[in-house]
Amino acid sequence: MNLLQTGFDGLLALGLIWLAWRALACPDLFRGIVLFIAFGLLMALAWVRLEAPDVALAEAAIGAGLTGALLLAALARLNRTAAAQTLPREAWRSGPALLLVLAGAGLGLAVLSLIPEPAGLQAQVAAELGRSGVSNPVTAVLLNFRGYDTLLELLVLLLALLAAWSLDADPPRREAPAGAVLDMLLRLLLPVLVLAAAYLLWAGAHAPGGAFQAGAVLGAAGVLALLAGWRLQPHLTGTPLRLAVTIGPGGFLLVAWAFAAGRPAAAGISAGTRRRSDPADRDPGHPVHRRHPGSAVPGLAARRR
Amino acid sequence: MPEGVSLSALAALPWDAVLILLPLTGAVAAGLWPRSARPIGLLVSAGGIPILVGLGTAVAGTDGLHHAVGGWGAPLGIELRADALSLVFLATTALVGLGVALYADSYFEPTLARWFWPLWLFLLGALNALFLSADLFNLYVTLELMGLAAVALTALGGGRAALTGAMRYLLATLLGSLVYLLGVALLYHATGTLDFGLLGQRLEAGPASRTALGLMGAGLALKTALFPFHFWLPPAHASAPAPVSALLSALVVKASFYILVRLWLELFAPLAATAATGQVLGLLGMAAILWGSWQALRQPRVKLLVAYSTVAQIGYLFLAFPLLSAAGLPDAAAWRAVLWLVLAHALAKAAMFLAAGNLLRFGGHDRITDLDCVAQRLPLTVAAFALAGVSIAGLPPTGGFIGKWLLLEAALLQGRWDLVTVMLLGGLLAAGYVFKVVGHFFTPAATRHEAQRVPARMEWTALGLAVLALLLGLAPGILLPWFDSAVVMPMAGARQ
Repeated sequence: MNLLQTGFDGLLALGLIWLAWRALACPDLFRGIVLFIAFGLLMALAWVRLEAPDVALAEAAIGAGLTGALLLAALARLNRTAAAQTLPREAWRSGPALLLVLAGAGLGLAVLSLIPEPAGLQAQVAAELGRSGVSNPVTAVLLNFRGYDTLLELLVLLLALLAAWSLDADPPRREAPAGAVLDMLLRLLLPVLVLAAAYLLWAGAHAPGGAFQAGAVLGAAGVLALLAGWRLQPHLTGTPLRLAVTIGPGGFLLVAWAFAAGRPAAAGISAGTRRRSDPADRDPGHPVHRRHPGSAVPGLAARRR
Repeated sequence: MPEGVSLSALAALPWDAVLILLPLTGAVAAGLWPRSARPIGLLVSAGGIPILVGLGTAVAGTDGLHHAVGGWGAPLGIELRADALSLVFLATTALVGLGVALYADSYFEPTLARWFWPLWLFLLGALNALFLSADLFNLYVTLELMGLAAVALTALGGGRAALTGAMRYLLATLLGSLVYLLGVALLYHATGTLDFGLLGQRLEAGPASRTALGLMGAGLALKTALFPFHFWLPPAHASAPAPVSALLSALVVKASFYILVRLWLELFAPLAATAATGQVLGLLGMAAILWGSWQALRQPRVKLLVAYSTVAQIGYLFLAFPLLSAAGLPDAAAWRAVLWLVLAHALAKAAMFLAAGNLLRFGGHDRITDLDCVAQRLPLTVAAFALAGVSIAGLPPTGGFIGKWLLLEAALLQGRWDLVTVMLLGGLLAAGYVFKVVGHFFTPAATRHEAQRVPARMEWTALGLAVLALLLGLAPGILLPWFDSAVVMPMAGARQ
């Protein structure tokens, strides 16, 4: 059994390296993208083997699914505007490649010299899990213990959307409608995707899953609809759309304001006498995790046009 | 602001949290209501100053305020920390940010202003969050937010050059962030915490900390555009709209430098085996001064010249790394000088880019040899450029002079003649490229061309920032104690 696992892991590692190399070196962009998607799927398997199912889900949804779809959509545009389908051979230079190999080798040596048992925070997370309001430790960290990071990440998503809009102020072009088969398939598939996203969000409270994965699935649904030629009605693209994409981060920010106003005494501790916050200070009904339905933003973002 | 929050609760809001939440909320609101983006943007940019004064009074006399976000505290949660060092960078951000916001209000036409305000407020919020964070991973998140906002602002001008510059900037800044993150992962693995205070207690010399220092140093040097990682800076800073160039050169490159200073003073300096890294950074700094100044001297366009001058001036900031005290610890005097230079360079460089923007608006180009008698027609802009240039070149009585004098003194005391020579040479070259432009202000060009009107406010804001850079040099005694504590406190915390 053990031999089988080792063999599988070895194959997985070799496959990852081979796929990464092929994806980079392949001159045909379409094949490169397909190889990249395959790489993402194998990577998700690797995360499963490392017993990190949350990361595996996110990798499969974002790394393989969403990124792959976006790359394909970008390739379709490239084909339309310019005939830049293949990369010139000299895109690979030996100097940077050698530098990367050296850096990778050095990094590998450093990782090998690390202590085998990491001094992580798992014990503390487990001890405080009861206060967090959820039973999945990953969700507890993302939405409660380090909810501030998640707030900023949510704003990164909104910022990315604004940045994309600022580059392309033209009204969206209506592209050729997709075939009837794709259209019918989407009508069946989209409700399932929305349901799957809702399940992932709900399941995140006690099992692997959660807002990021659910958002990625919703986003993938939006990209699918886009690729099939579906567009928002013109009267929805103004204020309603802006409202839809800002309501999540906006709500999260309001929670942050309320929370900052609620604990003025938390500031003012001198650096020397660093304090573990006392239990009375902490609110078991921490509002952050409950008031966070806005993680569907990537989906909404992708559904513009 | 949320409804239903009583006035007393508002008064009790912690200043540090407000400094982060206000610009971010403003950014979301400006994105939601493009028609109100302008008043929101101006109000939030100006609001930073009173909030900062409030925070400053709260911090004064303490060795730093800590704020456990969400009440969890380190190591489980994230902590904010406001001390004299963060205040130096926050004050720089607030001052330059307000000046540039006032300028941008006249600079951008409505279609672009609609995007400028939310992007700028995101950048402001990210900078404030970065300077207040005491958590390595949270710093990475703020770097992402800041980098993305900076790239979007760079691309705002549109056109081939701006888009290419922005794309290259995006790739460089993402690579820098990821390399930094790799170092964070190593440190977390070795110590089990991301909090600066706890890391200072737990971090030991070894392969993990050495590799982490190398990775984080390289990533942050790439983002700070230290020679030879400066390749992305001139195209991005020269092709962006003028107010954006000012923000990028004055503030954004300083943010990654701030993280490097924190890491160095609080975590890595007390460990042995960092002396060699310090020497390498010092060498790169010297190379940056010489290469950047030489390239600036050769540039045919004002904005490119100013951008290469940034490459050179960043080099000065790295000259404190090789200077060590007798005990082998960082030299407090040198670091005080570097912080002074950060503030002086931010004010002067912002003024220079804004003045360059005026020249570009006025003549429709910024070719140095074709500047046509601008001294008579744009006297305020010319004064702003010249004053800022004098500060950049480190001539008295400006802020740049004080900073460079203090740094020179620290290097002399240690007998580092190599640093002294490079600093003097850099000053000479800087005077050369500044006066090359100033000389062309007074001469008529071979071909006359149609001049566009430049709004008075664009001239006055450029001059205002340049005058601030000058005033900084007139009253060093008032501010120096603050800069002293900004250096000494993190180092004292590290030795505990």
